[in-house]
Amino acid sequence: MISIESLTFQYEGSTEPAVKDITLNIEDGGFFGIIGPAGAGKTTLARALCGIVPHHYKGDFYGSVTVDSMDTVDSKMTDICRVVGMVFQDVESQIISSVVEDELLYGLENYGIPHEEIEERMDFALREVGIEDLRYRTIASLSGGQRQKVAIASVIALRPKVLLLDEPTGELDPGSSRQVFGLLKTLNEKYGITIVVIEQKIMLLSEFAKELAVMSGGSMFCHGPVREVLKRARELEEIGVNCPRVASLAQNLHKEGLLKTPVLINVDEAEAAVRRLIS
Amino acid sequence: MKDLFQYTAGDSVIHKLNPLTRILLAVAVCAAAFVSDNLYYLVGLLCFDMLLGLLAGVFGKALSLLKGLLKISIFLFILQILFVRKGNRVFWIITDQGLILAAKVVLRLMIACIPLALMLAVTQISDLANALVQVAHVPYKYAFTVTTAIRFIPQFMEEMADIMEAQTARGVEFDTKNGLKKIGMMLPLCVPLLVTSVRRTDAAAAAAEARGFELRNRTSGYKKYPFHWCDLLAVLVCAALIAGAVII
Repeated sequence: MISIESLTFQYEGSTEPAVKDITLNIEDGGFFGIIGPAGAGKTTLARALCGIVPHHYKGDFYGSVTVDSMDTVDSKMTDICRVVGMVFQDVESQIISSVVEDELLYGLENYGIPHEEIEERMDFALREVGIEDLRYRTIASLSGGQRQKVAIASVIALRPKVLLLDEPTGELDPGSSRQVFGLLKTLNEKYGITIVVIEQKIMLLSEFAKELAVMSGGSMFCHGPVREVLKRARELEEIGVNCPRVASLAQNLHKEGLLKTPVLINVDEAEAAVRRLIS
Repeated sequence: MKDLFQYTAGDSVIHKLNPLTRILLAVAVCAAAFVSDNLYYLVGLLCFDMLLGLLAGVFGKALSLLKGLLKISIFLFILQILFVRKGNRVFWIITDQGLILAAKVVLRLMIACIPLALMLAVTQISDLANALVQVAHVPYKYAFTVTTAIRFIPQFMEEMADIMEAQTARGVEFDTKNGLKKIGMMLPLCVPLLVTSVRRTDAAAAAAEARGFELRNRTSGYKKYPFHWCDLLAVLVCAALIAGAVII
């Protein structure tokens, strides 16, 4: 679906490239997590995936990004954004309208979706995100979590093949964060939408994502299936990425020879493993 | 002040008007205020402003607007009565004509400021933009520029309040009673405000582009903005207001 070949990008006026020599393949229907410390180039990578880099944010662009067999440099940004729907980090600046319904309409109207189809698409987006009751509310009256959901709904109403989210749970409490990830999982499994999510909360990523990419200092540190990546817990901690506590536990048990697998990715797995050990 | 620009939902007669008619109504009131030279008519127009607020269900907002204008009105009033030299002396250097002229200036200021703010309070900016594009054939880019500017006003005010709070927490005396001193302290804050605003505007532009801003044209709008009989009525009221101002 998306393939990145040795991508290097340096913003206009900056002295160092924001991302360096990144090569990555994102499969159709995958659930892909990107993690890394602040300033690792995650947001720039996300912008490159949906064409905002280099179309809106100018700079020196080397390598290539291909989305659904379109080269992002040669194609129009609006064509790329139809395939890759992006939910921005700063939800406040993404929201254009003052009422939820208008916010959903905005993209649908612009992309020329036939007017008889619009109602159905809005219903779909509001239902899947679970905010049907907010349809006629003003944005100003919503909480942070609700605004986040409105932003997601406004993007999935466009039915993109890829949904790209930049730190969607940045301002949410743990409960709402899980809800958002649950929603992403549904979209991924039920509708086959490819999910690419930048996230700081490793616990959520390791539980929901199928593949993980770790970035550091603008470069790709490592990527692969979640279990493979979490095997390198020590190295990850060195570059400033915390590992789930269950992963550290698993590594310690593995080192002591008590556990066969070096990786556990969620509490349920850890519980089962420890129970087995005790009995 | 902050919630002044925020949309107030409702089901009033004013809400049912076409967004363009609402703006026309506001402009007509302003025009009438400047055309008329009759003190009683001006008082009547001010009452009409308040009536608009009442009809739109935002009377409280109208009152707070009036209150907000009070200080500058008093200032203007005093200047006028001191500088107008014509007419018979009433008291000290104050003349009867000066008093009348000052009252007229102050009334005009109030009448002209209130209706547009009221109409914007009961009109969603996106509706206004859509109506401008669909009905008045304004190119979408211009409509978007204007509506985005209006939409950002409360956000900037919020941002300014945040910056000031942060500075107060670090010992800057924003709670001082001395207005000049306060303005002096606010000036350097314009830089951070400008920087965050530019950054935010740029992010908003990127987000709008990502959702097909470029592709939008006159026929894109899903909601339609037809004119009803109440719009006709409002246009008649506008005409009557201006005609009244000319005649009386």
